[in-house]
Amino acid sequence: MASVTLKGIKKSYTKDVTVIKGVDLQIKDGEFVVFVGPSGCGKSTLLRMIAGLEDITEGELMIGDALANDVHASKRGIAMVFQSYALYPHMSVYDNMAFSLKLAGADKAEIDKRVQRAAEILQITHLLERKPKALSGGQRQRVAIGRAIVREPQVFLFDEPLSNLDASLRLNMRVELSKLHADLKTTMIYVTHDQVEAMTLADRIVVFNAGVVQQVGSPLEMYENPANLFVAGFLGSPKMNLLEAQLVGVENGLAVVRLPKGITVRAAVDASRATAGSKVTLGVRPEHIQLATEGDVGIPARVDLVEHLGDIVLAYVEIPGVNDILAVKLPGHYTNLKRGDAVRLVFPETSALVFDEAGLAFKRTV
Amino acid sequence: MAMGRNSRRIMGLTGHYAGLIAFAIFTAFPLWWAASVGLSTNPENMYSFPRSFWPTEPGLLWFAKVFTDMPFLTYLKNSTIMAVMTVVGVVIVSVLAGYPLARLKFVGSKTIFVIIILTMMLPSEVAMIPNFITMKHLHLINEYLGATVINFSAAFGIFLMKQAFEMVPQDLIDAARVDGATEMQILWRIMVPVSAPSIAALGIFTLVNAWNDYLWPSIILTSREKLPLAVGVFNDLTGPFATSDSMVMAAIVMTVIPVLVFFAFTQRYFVSGMDGAVK
Repeated sequence: MASVTLKGIKKSYTKDVTVIKGVDLQIKDGEFVVFVGPSGCGKSTLLRMIAGLEDITEGELMIGDALANDVHASKRGIAMVFQSYALYPHMSVYDNMAFSLKLAGADKAEIDKRVQRAAEILQITHLLERKPKALSGGQRQRVAIGRAIVREPQVFLFDEPLSNLDASLRLNMRVELSKLHADLKTTMIYVTHDQVEAMTLADRIVVFNAGVVQQVGSPLEMYENPANLFVAGFLGSPKMNLLEAQLVGVENGLAVVRLPKGITVRAAVDASRATAGSKVTLGVRPEHIQLATEGDVGIPARVDLVEHLGDIVLAYVEIPGVNDILAVKLPGHYTNLKRGDAVRLVFPETSALVFDEAGLAFKRTV
Repeated sequence: MAMGRNSRRIMGLTGHYAGLIAFAIFTAFPLWWAASVGLSTNPENMYSFPRSFWPTEPGLLWFAKVFTDMPFLTYLKNSTIMAVMTVVGVVIVSVLAGYPLARLKFVGSKTIFVIIILTMMLPSEVAMIPNFITMKHLHLINEYLGATVINFSAAFGIFLMKQAFEMVPQDLIDAARVDGATEMQILWRIMVPVSAPSIAALGIFTLVNAWNDYLWPSIILTSREKLPLAVGVFNDLTGPFATSDSMVMAAIVMTVIPVLVFFAFTQRYFVSGMDGAVK
């Protein structure tokens, strides 16, 4: 097992095209780190650089205590699971898993022991004689993971391993990957564009956009305290509601912002570094918005669309004068809410976030 | 309505079959005629059409004479040796040239590929004199190797293998690289097995061409015991001292049969390999 350290890692294809723009990251021994970001943000490229499949243009990559920049992929102590599984189609499952050991010149008994053990962990012992084409998607995925386990790597690298599976299988494999990490306690780096996978699997999430690390942290910390607008909008489903607003005042530990039509909202953040009158963005997660009961003052709004999902009700509402439609996540018992209903919304001040003009979040005060 | 649809379907099928049968007759009739003439112990109807399409006094007389009047088995052995040599040579050269062109990044790879393809534009006769001189200096005149080596580096084969290797997913190569395979191990243990259908197609294609190769072997092979079937049959049985046209026909049929048998067993590879390569 080993830690992975990235110092100022950059990747350019030509002088003008830089896809990774300086990444500093310390991945601890045994940690499960998920790289998440939209397509084309550079997360897969970075993983391939760690794997040794892409050259590192600038910066230092340490695996354990050793500089790994110029070490061949097979000598880095890593194993990789590919999105397409990349099983050798002409070899049986057993030979697929044994291939790396055979190349390394391990003796037959050792190979057999390791393959059998990996097959047991993944419950694919009965498939060992089959060819990949005779396996289902989920089974192929297991073989691909088995091929990685057999190498007893110091670091596992996963490149969107679940994206070719159907929804229910993906859920199962996600649980199994969590278990696998708990059992093996090996460092794992996992790339995905699916923020649910990131939230459920990771010890720490690294959010990427356009070749730059946006934020690093534990899933809940990132969810509750996104550092900027990108992270706020990326994590969570439905997305956080982001509304353009104007900062009107900063009171002890509270920011007061004004939406169009003179609606004011309070948020428990420290906005003292901004000046009154500056443009800000108000952020409220769908599950934090409440419907006002009798007696409460609330922002008048109209229901545009209601989705009954059984356990919850998703309402899309429109505030007059505000361009964006707001998503509101309500408990499942709001069954008689319907399109066209007039409602009043409450944004609790402890859960509202405010972002400055540059998109950076103000610190919460509670 | 249903009747109408049915009769239209029948008419359509009849049209398809009629067309295909006509084409089959068109391509098969020379061989049929040769077989019919070869099987006629009495050659009097050889040139009377359409009577010649059916053997007159059927028997294997001329086929038996092919073995006694000319060294047919020697020619057969030579053809087999040369065809196998050519197939092995072409496959090795095409695989080794196709892989870097398809998968390795190096300066000038595109230019090299274009130059290789350009050689397909030249008629092979253009190269005969330079090739002959080269073979003479290499002391390969009247050698099997001399008769085959000029075909080893086939632009078509390199093109076919380059296309086949380009279709192998990059992930497979990356996986092998992470597993510790060297470039050569990736080539022989991953790329070649994965591209087996294309290699089979190339092999069959090459075999048929090598089997039928006439001009170059007739130039470079000087002694009779080295000649392949195509050259041997032509030299021995035609020309001013030819003994019998019936025997030529019997010899031709026997020359074609090994290729036909081979093709019958391997045609599914041929078809599946060409699927991806030429479409």
